[in-house]
Amino acid sequence: MRLSSGNILHALGLTAVILFTLFPFYWMVSASFKTQADILASPPVWLFTPTLDHYREIFADSKVIGAVGNSLIIATATTALAVLLGAPAAFALARYDFRGKSDLWFWFISNRMTSPIVLALPVYILALQLKMLDTHLVLILIYLTFNLPIVVWICTDQFKSIPPDLEQAARLDGADQFTIFRKIYLPLGAPGIAVSAIFSFIFSWNELLYALVLTRRDVQTAPVVATSFMSGYELPWGKIMATGTVIVLPVTIFALIVSRHMVRGLTMGATK
Amino acid sequence: MTFLQLDNIKKTFGELSVIKGVNISASKGEFVVFVGPSGCGKSTLLRMIAGLEDVTSGTLSIDGKDVTYEEPAKREVSMVFQSYALYPHMSVFENMAFGLRMAKLSEDEIKRRVAEAARILQIEPLLERKPRALSGGQRQRVAIGRSIVRNPKIFLFDEPLSNLDAELRSQMRVEIAKLHRNLGATMVYVTHDQVEAMTLADRIVVLRAGLVEQIGSPTELYDRPANTFVAGFIGSPKMNFLTAKVTGADASSLQLSHPAFAGESLSLAHGSASKAKVGDKLLVGLRPEHLDVAAPAPLLRLTVDFAENLGGSTQIYARTGEEAVTILTNGRPDLTPGDQMAAGIDPRHIYLFTPDGLAL
Repeated sequence: MRLSSGNILHALGLTAVILFTLFPFYWMVSASFKTQADILASPPVWLFTPTLDHYREIFADSKVIGAVGNSLIIATATTALAVLLGAPAAFALARYDFRGKSDLWFWFISNRMTSPIVLALPVYILALQLKMLDTHLVLILIYLTFNLPIVVWICTDQFKSIPPDLEQAARLDGADQFTIFRKIYLPLGAPGIAVSAIFSFIFSWNELLYALVLTRRDVQTAPVVATSFMSGYELPWGKIMATGTVIVLPVTIFALIVSRHMVRGLTMGATK
Repeated sequence: MTFLQLDNIKKTFGELSVIKGVNISASKGEFVVFVGPSGCGKSTLLRMIAGLEDVTSGTLSIDGKDVTYEEPAKREVSMVFQSYALYPHMSVFENMAFGLRMAKLSEDEIKRRVAEAARILQIEPLLERKPRALSGGQRQRVAIGRSIVRNPKIFLFDEPLSNLDAELRSQMRVEIAKLHRNLGATMVYVTHDQVEAMTLADRIVVLRAGLVEQIGSPTELYDRPANTFVAGFIGSPKMNFLTAKVTGADASSLQLSHPAFAGESLSLAHGSASKAKVGDKLLVGLRPEHLDVAAPAPLLRLTVDFAENLGGSTQIYARTGEEAVTILTNGRPDLTPGDQMAAGIDPRHIYLFTPDGLAL
């Protein structure tokens, strides 16, 4: 590639974006290996002797392990259910005509227009009455209501981009609706499904508000536990940062696994 | 015996009437081509035979069985799509095997049938490939292979060659004709290309605006078109039409006059001459390839507009008054725009139509 001024500007811009995005991660991860004194030092200490004390501390704390476990259960269950329910719904919306289709379509996305905090109190009272406070199920159900519309929207869009001829060829080949969905739409819609799954997983993994409101002791999720360290007179930054790093890790791994599909999914339609 | 029967088939999309009552029958082993301009309803008609479009009214039967409301898969038809519609995530083998798997055939039988079809279409080396690794012509073969393996009662083709380049198109045209001969299968083929229609069909159905204009063998349509639409559609370049006046008519002959005619009049023997009356207007149809620039007793006096050298032949665009006349001739006559020229024709090749377009 020739080194033109445009290229240099482009590279500088990219570098700025990368620094801006990655610096907080660097700060979090490096702080998790620093002593409290190093963390609070001003000007910041760039060279330090790493310590694993914070990790020892959080892994010794059953609360953190339990919370990561809870988060995994809730995020995985939510994602699985959202895809399991959302993909067939998207197939129907993409390929069939039925009464009220456009209203239903709009209703799905309008679910996301309400600010979550507006519903926090009613949902809390509901969960209280149903004796569902501090259970995995209540969070899974709540997250499902937020994630399902996203899954349906992304998957519908993806399924619509599959040529209808394929479905008709399959019908002539003797495939029933379920087989068409399973053998044609699922494999060809994999990028969209992967994108919606990762959105769903990240949302459920990171969600704080409802997790804070609806859990007490048994089902606290990782973000709730991380914020619970922020009490008392001294903020244990090292511990918070180490917990943060542990929280980010599964999502990063999950994202790396599906990223190949994800990039394909996000750029889909751009070149057509 | 009638194998495929369409009886007063109609199709409406909401208020819009697309097929307005079509009757077609085909016998076993026949190659029927639906031809017509875009929007004439030919693809819709084909998709109704396949069961991919609902029939609004009328009955459709295949092999003596009423299948008007039957599921596509149970009609035992197969279709080759314009887009080929190959499953992109499956290998060529799996594409061809898909329908057989749906029919729950044994794995041995599936392998045998796919191998057989692959042999016929010479795609054996491609069986493990994905469709994206195939050329257009190869995809076309796989699409045909997918329809062969199921041993259908009727093969349906929806403009299968329109995505191929000219050379490949004529090559595949020959292959489809061979395939029809070797399999002896009933085929229904949709195209807007009259060359494909002429070369492939046992019988051509000419459609316009949801109605059948004429059904007949390629020769019948060429020699005895029912109306000016069919006359203009079949044959390339298009038939020329001149509006002439009847100056004399008896039981077996007609006198016509037109300013371009030599001596401004033409005397013509015609079986239906008595239907015309003196003073009527008639359309005189002249095929470009029948006009002879070297005729000893020319019929037309024309002015040259333009001449296209096609290598072995020349296409001449000429004019008489406001009316244009195209001539296709062998060789390279030396013509420049504005030249006067003459052209003759064998009177047996003159077509006559009433002013509303029907053959006289």
